[in-house]
Amino acid sequence: MNEVREKQSNYRPLSSKKALQKTMGRYYALTNYHRYWGKIFRRPLAWVTSGAPVELLRAFNIHSAYPEQYAAIYSARNATVALCEVSEAAGYSQDLCSYARSNIGGVLRPDLAPLGGMPKPNLLVACNNICGTVLKWYEVLARHFKVPLLVLDTPFLPHEFTAQAKAYVLEQLISMANDLEKITGCPFDEKKLAAEMKRSREITSLWIETRQYCQNSPSPLNAPDLFINMAPIVVLRGSKAGIEYYRKLRDEVKQRAALAQGAIEDERIRLVWDNIAIWPQLFSFYKMFSEKGACFITDTYSGGWAVEHAPGTPMESLAATYTEIFLNRSPKYRANQLIKLIEDYKANGFVMHSNRSCKPYSLVQEVIRKEVMRETGVPGLMIEADMADPRAYAEEPVRNRVQAFLETFL
Amino acid sequence: MPNHYIGVDIGSLTVKVVLIDDDLKIIGQGKERAGYSGRTIAQKLIAEVLAKSGLTTQNVGATVATGYGRVTFSADREVSEITCQAKGISHLFPSARTVIDIGGQDSKVIKLFPNGKVADFTMNDKCAAGTGRFLEVMASALEVDWQEISELVSASKKPTKISSFCTVFAESEIISQVSAGELKADILAGVCDSVASRVASMSRRTGLEPDIVFTGGVAHNDGVVKALAKQLDFSLLISQEPVITAALGAALIAREIKK
Ligand code: SF4
Repeated sequence: MNEVREKQSNYRPLSSKKALQKTMGRYYALTNYHRYWGKIFRRPLAWVTSGAPVELLRAFNIHSAYPEQYAAIYSARNATVALCEVSEAAGYSQDLCSYARSNIGGVLRPDLAPLGGMPKPNLLVACNNICGTVLKWYEVLARHFKVPLLVLDTPFLPHEFTAQAKAYVLEQLISMANDLEKITGCPFDEKKLAAEMKRSREITSLWIETRQYCQNSPSPLNAPDLFINMAPIVVLRGSKAGIEYYRKLRDEVKQRAALAQGAIEDERIRLVWDNIAIWPQLFSFYKMFSEKGACFITDTYSGGWAVEHAPGTPMESLAATYTEIFLNRSPKYRANQLIKLIEDYKANGFVMHSNRSCKPYSLVQEVIRKEVMRETGVPGLMIEADMADPRAYAEEPVRNRVQAFLETFL
Repeated sequence: MPNHYIGVDIGSLTVKVVLIDDDLKIIGQGKERAGYSGRTIAQKLIAEVLAKSGLTTQNVGATVATGYGRVTFSADREVSEITCQAKGISHLFPSARTVIDIGGQDSKVIKLFPNGKVADFTMNDKCAAGTGRFLEVMASALEVDWQEISELVSASKKPTKISSFCTVFAESEIISQVSAGELKADILAGVCDSVASRVASMSRRTGLEPDIVFTGGVAHNDGVVKALAKQLDFSLLISQEPVITAALGAALIAREIKK
């Protein structure tokens, strides 16, 4: 048995961190002061799900805010439990997604929410490509704020995206554009949409390129870097600020790769991560790995935003891009995706976070885990936790499993 | 000469110590309730085991700690129970491919490669169902001594059904069965079935490959052994002292460190 090195890994900080803070700080300031400028610039504020077709909203000058993104911040700032307790007291089940619970908690008690909670929306846009929870959650919000709710229903894809399903989604996008014309008083301009999508594609390809450098050994980035740096691609997709930021990040990561600088000192085990980050334990959890020389070189979660747009007219491309996302696809598809990541990134193993909150992401994981282990021959570990609610995290049992898993690499 | 090795397993309920020599022979062992400070008990047990064999700490080449209390114990290395259990079992049963371990606070299923290394594992925690703790709580609700369980269960003709997995709810279920006049032996047999079925479903999830070794304190309990073998439809191998297999594995790892 080799000696397990107990040495604490020194984490290599990214110098683009300042730019990230500035970019995101500006976005949050803009969003939270929307009431002062929204009317003047005739830019309504929409609360949208992470899988909503924002390029279409941007084509109508709509400013988007993401309850899921805010919920992740609530969690990183230790406010989730208090906010969840508010919504649980209001009758929402503990089994409901903790993003939904903490968001609703923040709506009911903004004083308990970091950043003073979210600014009031003028409309809501939900797309069920990520889960069914968002539909009911946004209905609750629509009743509370008495604002319009637009829904994009993307049928689950057990196999390929059929012509029928395509037509169904496309039709909805066209009617969504009609609704948005009425709500904003702004005519739909296909050219503007095309321009938005072009910028969005540019951000996406920068994110893809950045991630690909992690195929290098040692990997220039570890999972917490990926999780932190995905914020702009979620909220600033299609914006110039987003493009600027990802150019900076790409340059730094490219340079790290060229200099063979790893995100962690002494990378010995390369792992792939599956599921949403464990936000309340972002550093302590991943440190259990990094201090044993294990680096998460890529993941399926922040990788969800590293997907090229589908071809076709702007509307067709939107329809396919947003319907074909991995959470809306079969376990077989997801297993293949993981297998490909393990091969492309030369990973030695993978870790799945069975996330109590996120049923569509988690329920099929055991089947996928078995299949991936069989196909690749690398070990896969399952950890039980929650992306935001620390009450679902049992430190000792988690540490036990992680240690046992890492010992199998000795 | 420091040519002896110690494995200490500080579990949630009991502390186990195994002392081996250079030829991997067990030359001493000890076991005691963990109580408030598993670490103190471990130190005491080690001193006793060494004294009984006429040895001192000078004779110890290395010590490896495992179990929930491993982190607080200063040993040459702390190793997870999964790795230790696999090591101990494959030493005792080289043909083992699956290990089912029911301890005080968790139960686990470990799949082994033919070389004895861990291929995969599943653990049941956060919940006491299917663990030694569950059995203990039910036995005390029935005012039955831990040691009497096996004997009583063998007398049962018609085990009752315990449907709750939750330890607290199962306890009240048992109390109502008592007041409904069910026989103690039948209720206990029901309890054993319940533990077995919980662990069996976890085992099936991990995948079963013979030979299957059943270990941990609960493997002493014939009622659970029979129920589990029946539910899995496999025969189970059990070592003479299933309680100490993880500590044995730790001792074997201690010897490897030194080599
Ligand atoms: S259930 Fe999952 S996909 Fe849906 S909102 Fe919650 S975290 Fe997101």
